[in-house]
Formats: sequence, structure tokens, C-alpha cells
Amino acid sequence: MRNANEQDLDEIVMNSDKPVLVDFWAPWCAPCKALAPTLDEIAEEYAEEMEIVKVDIETNPGLAERFEVRGIPLLMIVKDGAETARTFGTLSRSRLDAFVDAHVGAE
Amino acid sequence: MAVIAFHGDPLVKAQALDRLQRHVAAGSFVYFPAWENGNANVIGAVVEADDTPAYAERLGYPLALAETLPMLVNGFRPQPEAVRFALAWLERTPVGADLTTIVSQLVLDLLANADLVKLTERYPDVEQSRQAIMALHCRAIDGEEPDRKTWKAARLAAVAATDAVDEAALERRAAQVVEAAAWPGTMRTVLRDTLNGLGTAELHLSLSEAGWTEENESRVFHIRQQAETDGYKAELSGLDRVLAILDADHPALAEQFRVRLDLMEESSARYRALAWKAIERMEQAPIAATRLAAQ
Repeated sequence: MRNANEQDLDEIVMNSDKPVLVDFWAPWCAPCKALAPTLDEIAEEYAEEMEIVKVDIETNPGLAERFEVRGIPLLMIVKDGAETARTFGTLSRSRLDAFVDAHVGAE
Repeated sequence: MAVIAFHGDPLVKAQALDRLQRHVAAGSFVYFPAWENGNANVIGAVVEADDTPAYAERLGYPLALAETLPMLVNGFRPQPEAVRFALAWLERTPVGADLTTIVSQLVLDLLANADLVKLTERYPDVEQSRQAIMALHCRAIDGEEPDRKTWKAARLAAVAATDAVDEAALERRAAQVVEAAAWPGTMRTVLRDTLNGLGTAELHLSLSEAGWTEENESRVFHIRQQAETDGYKAELSGLDRVLAILDADHPALAEQFRVRLDLMEESSARYRALAWKAIERMEQAPIAATRLAAQ
């Protein structure tokens, strides 16, 4: 799992060959912290198919503005440089899996 | 890969127990957080960090079991009871026990819960999912680990079955328990999430059977909030204050609220029951090897 900031997000996310699940979070956000182990598991589950990239909106407020982040945790899927789906709030592992499966797919 | 308790080494167990006992003796054993300012919970006491994977790896417990452990300890109140359980957890885990299938065994116990079945049976697709997922955990216990595609198919079917249940219905909570269990036992949060989901579903079922509604919950919340603003019965605190206010001004609600509290306590007892069951399962696990025996 990688971190992206205002300088490298385009390179890491928008120009990625693979689909990317972007996790917008902040250090003070308890639901974001609760979601973290689930994201770790999903990263392992989809290691072949997609990347997971974390964006701390506190240190990168410009990215929150650019992607119109109105609440966190916000998960966004980017494919071929364009956003294809987003979901807001805490998700169970199975729900997150279904969301990723629907928008990224798995082997 | 097999998960062997304490890696078959009695020294690993002795060191873990020693660290836990030192925190208990020093009065620095807490429920949460795992590790802060020298205070430690059941995980932090042993690894001296907020690091559940390190606990699982160093002691030879399945990660999903270690992930659930603080939640189990949290069900024991007051704190001496939590200490008693935390010590028993280490003391009663046999050195060299093969814990590879423990998580699936415990998930199976949860999915076989009578209250859960009472709810899932009302929706054939949900019940079918429950049975399919139990069958996958049974296969894992028998050493025939289902592949990723098989788990995924069962999981997506469970999610679809949940989506067919009304969002406000109790049965929806039961369906979510089934969803949570639709992962192999090696998945870190599978046991914690299944237990948490079942605890919530059972509590809502019993509250609903006792006639306690969301409206009641909201009334008590607002009464308490108003008392905070007005300083009403400020000489009391916590539940004593809430009960005193309800007894004085809302006697019928007070009676129902006491039933709610009893049901909450029963729900906590279910967590404790699973906690002891986990220890029993570990005691019954086959012994793979011990270092002393091998030497």
C-alpha cells in the first residue's frame, strides 16, 4: 500500500497501469483507523488486480478539494486515469470486496 | 502453513505470561488502548507495542484469534475478571497445540447460533448462504482449503442475499453476520467481525422481543442530554444518574430501561461464553510438537 501527495498523485494514481483504490483519510478520523485493517486485507486479496493508495487529506488539502472530498473515509476507484466509482463511510470487508469486485473485478 | 501455539517452545509461553503478570502487578493492565504511556492491554502487555500481528507471530496464535482477543477481554468486567481471563488465555493454551483451524471452528460455532438461525430461516437465500459458508469452514477444518474463487462466490451470494432484505429489518443484521463469516479463517478480521455482527444482531433481537424500540433509545438519550444541560441530578453520575432521572420523572420508561440494561449484560455474557469456548477449543487442539520433546 502506498501513500500519495499533491506532488506525486498523478504519477502514482492517474497514470497507473492498474486500477487504483484511493483511500482518503486523516489521522484524527476514527472510522478511517477502523477501516485500515480491512483495507490491508483487501490489498492482499487484490494484490494482482489493483493498487491501494492512501491520501492524507490533512497534509494534502488540495487533493481533497480537487476530488471534492466531502467526508472521510472516502474510497475512490480510478481506472485509466478517470474516477469510475466512489463510496463514503465505513464498509464491512464483504461490502468493500463486493464494491471492488463490481468495479475492478478479480481473476 | 500450520499455526503452532508458542511455536512449541515452553519458554515463549513463560515469557509472555511473565510480561502480562508484570503489567497486572504494576497496575498498568488496561482494556484499551493496546499500548500507551506504559499502560498495556492484553496484546500490548506481551509485545509492548500496539502490534497485533507481532503478538500472533511471536506467540503462535492465528492472527484472526489475536485480533479478536481484546474484544473478548472487554466482555469481562470488572477488571479483575478481565485479568483472570487474560491469564487463563495464556496459561491454558497448550504449548505446541495446532491452532490452524481454531478460527474456522469458532466461526462455525457462531454461525450455528440458535438466535441467528431463527432470523436467517425467514429468508431462504440468507439461510442457504449461511449453510454454504458453514460448509466452506467445515472443508477448511478438514484440511481441504477452498480456493479464493469459491470463497468469493459464496461471499457475493451472501451480499446479494442481504441486499434482498429490508434495511430496517432485524433479519438484515443476521444476513450481515453471514456475510462477515464468508472469508477463510486466515483473514485477520473474520472472527472479530462475525462475533461483533452476531452480538449486535442478538442484542437487537432480544431488545425487540422485550419491546425496547429506537424511539425509547432516543428518548433516554435526549433526557440524559437535557439533564447535562440543566445540571439535573448532577450529584449522581453515569447510569445511576440516568436511572434516578427516569425513576423520578418517567417511571414506565425506567422499568423498560432496566430490562434493556439486563439484556445488554446478557449480550456481554455471550462474548464471555465465546471467550471460554475459544480456550476450550485450544485445549482440545492436537499437539503438533514441543521443542522440549524434540530435544
